[in-house]
Amino acid sequence: MTTVRKKRSLEARRNSWGWFFVAPGILFFSTFSLYPICNALWTSFHNKKLLSLKPPKFIGLQNYAKVLSSPDFWNSVRASATFCLGVFLPIFIASLLFGVLIASRTRGRRFYQLALYSPAILSSVVTASVWAIMFDPRGLANQLVNGLMGTPGIDRRWLADSTMVQISTMLVYIWKTVGYYTILFVTGIGKIPASVIEASIIDGANPWQRLTRITMPLLKPTMALVSVMIFIGSLKTFSTQYLFTQRGAPLEPINVLTLNIYNTALYEQNLGRASVMSLLLFATLLVLSGIQVKAAGSGEDM
Amino acid sequence: MKRILTVLLLVSLAASAAVAQAPTVPGIKGKSIEINFWTHDDANRNPMEKELIAEFMAANPGVTVNYSSYPSGKIFEKLTTAFAANQGPSIFNVAIGNAVSFLDNGRVAPVDYKAIGLRNAAALEGLYLPGMLSAVKRDKDIYGLPLELTNMCLYVNKKMFREAGLDPDKDYPRTWEDVMALSEKIVQRDGQIITRRGFDFRTDAYPNTFIPMVEQLGGEYVSKDGKTAIIGDEAWIKALQFMKDFGPTGKNLGAPTYTAARTAFDKNKGEVAMSFSGLYQEARMKNTNPDFYNSKDWMVVPFPQWKDAKKRVTANYSGHYYMVNVQSDKLVQKASWVLLNYMLGHGERYLEKVAVVQPTKKLTQSATYRAMPYSDVFTKDFDAAKIVYIGPASSRLSSLLKAAIESVEVGGEDPRVALEKLRKAAQAALDDVE
Repeated sequence: MTTVRKKRSLEARRNSWGWFFVAPGILFFSTFSLYPICNALWTSFHNKKLLSLKPPKFIGLQNYAKVLSSPDFWNSVRASATFCLGVFLPIFIASLLFGVLIASRTRGRRFYQLALYSPAILSSVVTASVWAIMFDPRGLANQLVNGLMGTPGIDRRWLADSTMVQISTMLVYIWKTVGYYTILFVTGIGKIPASVIEASIIDGANPWQRLTRITMPLLKPTMALVSVMIFIGSLKTFSTQYLFTQRGAPLEPINVLTLNIYNTALYEQNLGRASVMSLLLFATLLVLSGIQVKAAGSGEDM
Repeated sequence: MKRILTVLLLVSLAASAAVAQAPTVPGIKGKSIEINFWTHDDANRNPMEKELIAEFMAANPGVTVNYSSYPSGKIFEKLTTAFAANQGPSIFNVAIGNAVSFLDNGRVAPVDYKAIGLRNAAALEGLYLPGMLSAVKRDKDIYGLPLELTNMCLYVNKKMFREAGLDPDKDYPRTWEDVMALSEKIVQRDGQIITRRGFDFRTDAYPNTFIPMVEQLGGEYVSKDGKTAIIGDEAWIKALQFMKDFGPTGKNLGAPTYTAARTAFDKNKGEVAMSFSGLYQEARMKNTNPDFYNSKDWMVVPFPQWKDAKKRVTANYSGHYYMVNVQSDKLVQKASWVLLNYMLGHGERYLEKVAVVQPTKKLTQSATYRAMPYSDVFTKDFDAAKIVYIGPASSRLSSLLKAAIESVEVGGEDPRVALEKLRKAAQAALDDVE
């Protein structure tokens, strides 16, 4: 009886230390994540205007009805979905390819990793500004494409045409993020036990067989993780679309959800509707995060 | 020794005279306050204002002024975020179309007339040209002091006109049809890519320049009672068709995706022959390209009209008013008005260094104003101008207008389709306010 009591008090003491150590994390999460989420939920049922000092009125589901019946919102859903699907395959394939290439090298590995990763550390605004200059009709993008295709003087209308402007935002995003996902693949490949590779070499497997029969199957959890992360990341894209529209690009083709939320909150000053859109985006991200956690979990099993 | 003492005496007298220029805040003695001052970037204005603030702080040792400036495209976002969190600065300015939401949501303090040595609102209005404070007047009170009110005219590069075989003094554009025809004569391209534009619009100033195009033809963005969006469809369609014809899917004469026309104009590198801007552009030109400013290669002409215009409408003017945060401490509010009154009391200095015009009777009648190149052109247009649309939905209406124009000009959308979309969205924005 005394031993059990002692054990319990020891456990309680341990638990209290556990609480002590996780308390800052919980506090941080509650302040900067949980509270804003709850606040957005509350705001979504009120007619809260950004600058108004009057107490907001409860309006039930009116904001939800307005948003869900708005063509502008559905255009944003389309723009976000197009962007996600448009960047997914290029990022996935390019980062996997670079990951495999870097992992297979013994010399200069760090240099290639750094070179690929460097765009990711640039501020999104700087990135978008630099690319906007390149997409100027007299900029590098037209010169390069026309030079390669032997079509001098053709304006590809990178920021003007409704299809091209979507491709332009995708190009910027791919360029900026591919290095990050490459690092994830390099790490994933690094986690494959050397003994398995060595055994396949002894068995006479050539490099292609090693890649397709050993590396790829064992990389599946990383692939799942990267896939979900690409979707989550691309749904949160904002800066490039924002900056391009500031530089004269038409809004409608690239009015992704995040940009619509920003404009609804800032220019319409309608926090209620902006909150509804934020929550819908949050729900989508939550589902994707659930898949990501599962994928990461299955990665640990490896 | 006597000489040294005399010099010291003169220096101290001069220093005290400089300090004495700045007024002291009533009731500040023994107290210390902090004024947070947010404004937009201006390479000419910011250093000058810092000097004036330093003088004010020297005269008021208990006052600390924290002066911050932000890019003009960003300051609205910064202010809105800060005010939404009830952390707005003590003094701020933003374009009047955006400032109205601060004003109508009770975020701005009325002018402290007594603190600036005036009896009442009427006395303050008496200092300005008629109607210049209407935008910031609510009931009987005034809620802002004008930093600048700007109307836009057309800057013309005479050299580029001559290079195109034109006589700038005779051939400068009077009508929108002229603007298009001259652009076609001046434009140079490398294939489809424009290397020289005859003219280009200002993407940040459609309420100032595009709406008057519609109004000249009898249309309106918002009805007089503020309840209906888009009046006069034919006027709108004609103006939007002009934009479509002008843009890359039409005659390919310019587009918002090229370098801002006024910036390219000042550089005088043969990129743009005509550009819209206010009088302040002269100071920017003088600063960035003094050789061009001092040459006789540029001029300013009135805002164009349609050939079949129903009425003469010049560019709408917009403005910046300095405002004071009503949530600031009362003494901070008082000190803020005293500081603003002191700063803006140097109207001629603002005009000389920044070329911004405060619409005071004194300044507009001054020799300094009249000596500014082409100030008479701006004045004549200004006399016929009205302020840009300001209302509770003006920020939203402004961004919707931009989207509609650029969907037609850049995206090649049919003007009728774009107009219908604009009507629906603008009406929804107006209905939302009610």
